[in-house]
Amino acid sequence: MLGYIGRRVLIMVPTLLAISLIVFTIIQLPPGDYFTSYMNELETRGETVDPDKIAFLKAQYGFDRPLYQQYLLWVTGMLRGDFGYSFEYDLPVRDVVGDRLLLTFIVSFATILFTWMLAFPIGVYTAVRQYSFGDYGLTFIGFIGLATPNFLLALVLQYFAYVWFGTSIGGLMDPEYVDQPWSWAKAMSVLEHLWIPVLVIGTSGTAGMIRRLRANLLDELDKQYVITARAKGMPPLRALIKYPLRVALNPFIADIGNLLPQIISGAAIVSVVLSLPTTGPMLLRALQSQDMYLAGSFLMFLATLTVIGTLLSDLALAALDPRIRFGRTEAS
Amino acid sequence: MSDDRLPHYVNPAPYRPGMAETLTPAQERVFLASQWTLIWWKFRRHKLAVISGAFLLLLYLSTLIAEVIAPYDLHARHTDYLFAPPQPVHLFHDGDFVGPFVYGMTVNLDLDNMRWVYAEDKTQVQPLRFFCTEGDYPGATYSFWTLFEGDFHLVCPAPGGQMFLLGTDRLGRDMLSRIIYGARISLTVGLLGITISLLLGMLFGGLAGYFGGWVDGCVQRMIEIIRSFPELPLWMALSAIMPVTWGPVAVYIGITVILGLLDWPGLARAVRSKLLALREEDFCLAAQLMGAKPRRIITRHLLPSFSSHLIASATLSIPSMILAETALSFLGLGLRPPITSWGVLLNEAQNINVVALYPWLMLPVVPVILVVLAFQFLGDGLRDAADPYN
Amino acid sequence: MTRLARLALCIALCTAACVSRPAAAGMTYSESPVLAEAVDKGTLPRLAERLPEIPSVAPFVRKNQVVGRHGGTLNILMARPKDVRLMVVYGYARLLRYDHRLDLVPDILRKVEIEKGRIFTLHLRPGHRWSDGAPFTAEDFRYYWEDVANSPELTPTGPPDMLRVEGELPIFEVIDPHTVRYSWHKPNPAFLPSLAKARPPFIYRPAHYLKQFHAAYSDIAALRDKAKKRGYRSWAPLHNRMDNLYKNDNPALPTLQPWINTIKPPADRFVFERNPYFHRVDPDGRQLPYIDRVVMDVVDKKIVPAKTGTGGSDLQARYLRFDNFTFLRKNGKRLGFDVNLWRIGKGAHMALYPNLNVKDEGWRALLRDVRFRRALSLAVHRREINRVMYFGQAIEGQNTVLPNSPLFDSAYQKAWADFDLDKANALLDDMGLTDRNSRGIRRMPDGRSIEIVVETAGESTEESDVLQLVHDSWLRAGIKLHIKPSHRDVLRNRIYAGQTVMALSSGLENGLATPESSPRELAPTRQRQYQWPSWGQYTETAGQAGIAPDMPVARKLLDLLGDWRNATTRLGQAHAWRAMLSLYTDQVFTIGLIAGTLQPVVVGKRVRNVPEQGLYTWNPGAHFGIYEPDTFWLEPPEQVTEDRRR
Repeated sequence: MLGYIGRRVLIMVPTLLAISLIVFTIIQLPPGDYFTSYMNELETRGETVDPDKIAFLKAQYGFDRPLYQQYLLWVTGMLRGDFGYSFEYDLPVRDVVGDRLLLTFIVSFATILFTWMLAFPIGVYTAVRQYSFGDYGLTFIGFIGLATPNFLLALVLQYFAYVWFGTSIGGLMDPEYVDQPWSWAKAMSVLEHLWIPVLVIGTSGTAGMIRRLRANLLDELDKQYVITARAKGMPPLRALIKYPLRVALNPFIADIGNLLPQIISGAAIVSVVLSLPTTGPMLLRALQSQDMYLAGSFLMFLATLTVIGTLLSDLALAALDPRIRFGRTEAS
Repeated sequence: MSDDRLPHYVNPAPYRPGMAETLTPAQERVFLASQWTLIWWKFRRHKLAVISGAFLLLLYLSTLIAEVIAPYDLHARHTDYLFAPPQPVHLFHDGDFVGPFVYGMTVNLDLDNMRWVYAEDKTQVQPLRFFCTEGDYPGATYSFWTLFEGDFHLVCPAPGGQMFLLGTDRLGRDMLSRIIYGARISLTVGLLGITISLLLGMLFGGLAGYFGGWVDGCVQRMIEIIRSFPELPLWMALSAIMPVTWGPVAVYIGITVILGLLDWPGLARAVRSKLLALREEDFCLAAQLMGAKPRRIITRHLLPSFSSHLIASATLSIPSMILAETALSFLGLGLRPPITSWGVLLNEAQNINVVALYPWLMLPVVPVILVVLAFQFLGDGLRDAADPYN
Repeated sequence: MTRLARLALCIALCTAACVSRPAAAGMTYSESPVLAEAVDKGTLPRLAERLPEIPSVAPFVRKNQVVGRHGGTLNILMARPKDVRLMVVYGYARLLRYDHRLDLVPDILRKVEIEKGRIFTLHLRPGHRWSDGAPFTAEDFRYYWEDVANSPELTPTGPPDMLRVEGELPIFEVIDPHTVRYSWHKPNPAFLPSLAKARPPFIYRPAHYLKQFHAAYSDIAALRDKAKKRGYRSWAPLHNRMDNLYKNDNPALPTLQPWINTIKPPADRFVFERNPYFHRVDPDGRQLPYIDRVVMDVVDKKIVPAKTGTGGSDLQARYLRFDNFTFLRKNGKRLGFDVNLWRIGKGAHMALYPNLNVKDEGWRALLRDVRFRRALSLAVHRREINRVMYFGQAIEGQNTVLPNSPLFDSAYQKAWADFDLDKANALLDDMGLTDRNSRGIRRMPDGRSIEIVVETAGESTEESDVLQLVHDSWLRAGIKLHIKPSHRDVLRNRIYAGQTVMALSSGLENGLATPESSPRELAPTRQRQYQWPSWGQYTETAGQAGIAPDMPVARKLLDLLGDWRNATTRLGQAHAWRAMLSLYTDQVFTIGLIAGTLQPVVVGKRVRNVPEQGLYTWNPGAHFGIYEPDTFWLEPPEQVTEDRRR
């Protein structure tokens, strides 16, 4: 087991390096740079910026150096805990991201919880009652969630939440709580706003999960040991939960690591529509305005989290299923 | 090669398959049917999938003749009817059966609210015309696939009348026609994208599954790296590489390539795992034992049995591509007018004005949902049918 | 400047100050209850010690502008944290400011004396204080001039353009603690107007605060440590970071604006508290601003209209578009807020820029033929554009000054701007472009069909919608239009390189020009001018790059610009302006499509003194600035709603 862990951890190093290269390429790819795009934006609104000043700023932030130097500076900086500078916020990246992470985790966690709570019983039900009316009905509803473009659903829900319940539009809480310390009223206000993103992001993920759980469970249920257990008179519920369900869940454990980027992606657009104070819109805006260090360091952070998540879920799987330790990776 | 054959015993006695038992014609039909026939039989039982398949087939066929189906040309504007709501189709006028018709509309400008106000004019009965070739209304003529000019339409408004069954947008363009034309782009984005993704997936998955070892390791790492990114920034970055000077067609192809490029890891994994699993199957071993060469095993035994799976998983990826196109267009990174796709139409619909005042502009979401659903059901049916011997 | 001109300007400058003095003499001042509390507690000096000896008295001459009451919180919405700077724009406390009639009047300054248009003596208000209570004196001007503008570390590019006359820097003198003087050898007509800009060059800085970050005034080693600790390479970036009167992102930086930012970015909600030392009072002696506090919520740009429409903002114009009006109006009636429509003050909301410096010779010859430009302009159905896109509420005409400008003449607006296909076709036929291809598109002399690719910055669907309409009417003149949306910087680079035949952009920045403002937008002076980038570059770089204007009419425009520069009277300036406007529009150097579009301005139920009709411009105007947001006030909320909120 220790050898396995060691191997997995070692593999992470080249992976992360490759990721950092890709990230750097991504943030360098779009033509122009932050200052040019910022100048353009100001000009569309009638403001003007002295071009000399732009040149001065570019030099100050090292934009005039060769690319490989910029890359090395960035990577070595990150190792030292210096994530670069955000031009948009005029602050070190570290200070910018900080307070948004908590809300991102709240939204992500609530979404995962929601997805699982919805997908789990439905998945089991549709597997046990295969081809029944309920199976078709629930599958259909799940697919509807998947098929509706998230941004439109979010927009419509947000408007009607206002019309029907008077929920203030945008944000994760009523504006008066934004800079307040946490309190009961603030938490309630968050809950009042949270359901829309959770519902929208959640429903787009449940269908896939329902289908996979159903398929895995169906495979298991056909196996000899289940039939034997049933034949021997084990109560159906116990015959379902004791082994088949546990085995059917393995792929889900393997997938925990990948949940994060998926949710961030799905949440980003929804968060833009709903103007949530999460990291998604910030990342999008950073990419769009070419605030490169903010975007780059943030992407790197996400990718690292995912790699670690994958590692953890691999380790968890290996602990659960000894076959995996010996070279057989799980195929999903 | 002959040295590689396993030494084994073969009964020299003549063997006649029909000797052991006689088959009924029905049984014979089943046992002798080819794999694809069996798949078809199994698929046929999945009613929802069959209906979805037929629906999709119809839709794809309709994109070929969008010009004929759409009552108006894609770019036809009706500046007297801006933001006109959908006109309902009636059958009875004053209790008399007239056939399908719409009432004319009266338009007023409400300057206080800066809004056009429409009302049905019950005195104007405008029967719809079918299979019309007159081309006597604005927007009737089109250039068919830019090949030749035409004015034949399946349905068209009465002379001098209007027929905005799904309303009009801010320039007075008929939404129904735009949706029909938009299908051309939106439906093919998925197909092209999935082709690219399928090719890449087969290539990398095949390499990994066939060679194993370090090749497998590399492909696995590549997949892991790609999957550890949120796909959104990847899309954004890749669409940023596309030069803005590109024409509409190039942008369209570029977008499909991007979608394909990011979708292959899932398929590659499927190919790889299927390849690994199938290699261990009994029929494969049997073929090996009977002295089949690897090439024959791959083409004759492995490929057919996993191509069905592949088609099924590919079908299941198409919806995400169609949705991805809408999402990209939403961010302003995908297709842009004057190209008309469902994503572009939805992009124009994503503001509060539309939700509150002109909800019919959100109608393009209906075909998106339907198509995605249809692909899901079709893919489900295919997946269930993919393994006909089960 | 002759004596006459000097007199004219001085009258304009003096009226406010001169009128205010007698009024100020017998005035008793009063302050907001929140400040009175602080005074009672002893945390704040008494009002008399906080106001300048002679405060600036807001004239309250605007229509329906009434004296109000102190107190309340104003909510506004913005789309990015950087927008905190807009409170400096809205607050609009400037050395001199434009009033609502676009006259320059002293504001922070007590008065300005001008000699021969080249010697400017600025008189401060004795007793004027920064928002932290420190005196605002000539030292703050000296600090800027010597230690900031002329410090190679802090400002490597040197003092800004408006302080240079043909490259010459002024002689700066401190006459006494309340008087400074700038003098040049030649007239500097740009000096005073630029002080009143929405984004002014702050030629004064809070020296008492900034000196702690300046190497000349602090221990260099300690300063280096301080800079290091905050992640800066040296003291200079640290000083620049702390010294941002415009960006408004340092709550510790003293200011002269009516409201002070109290929140350090990054944040999604910024709170601006009233400046207890603000220098303006209303005619009854109440210290301005009326409103105690402004709260700015940062939300995504896309949901600003939705949030405003549901009562999320008390004063909103930015990020609202004309097509949001219907929605806002509908909700406004229900929730009780007003939606006013202000005119946007650009010369044209959209104009086509035929690139006279395009590389392709065939196109260049065509575009340089004035008949061609006139024909294109005549073939635009502006009435239809106005009706379809703006409910007929915009102004149809060329890219020129708007009716609110003193230089306006309907002849400029109407020049070649009627929809007259016969005339357009006749002009094109006259050019010999009679040969047409199978689809009825005219051919160029070299046989290519005339298919004009109009490139846009691709920022709004509005642009492609308008072009769609132009496309249809041009087709009837035998000219085909293709729309090509791209990105602003790509578009600009293509134009500079002469690859773009025609571009769509907004028209003259200043559609409300006065004779004193510079008419350089009408002549080839900048590379940024899409109709003649190479000529503009030539002027801009003084002949180092670009191409010398090789069309007589373009040179004529430059000559006229010279006339304006040398004009010593307002009349002379106006004369040069008019000649330029007339030539520019008659030659159709830009094809104006639509102008004077309307900006929805949402005004909350309780907000008073926001004009119903106004001009929405950046410069001059500062959006709300010229309408004195410090005199906006809030009616007390009804008791009922107050109770329900608790």
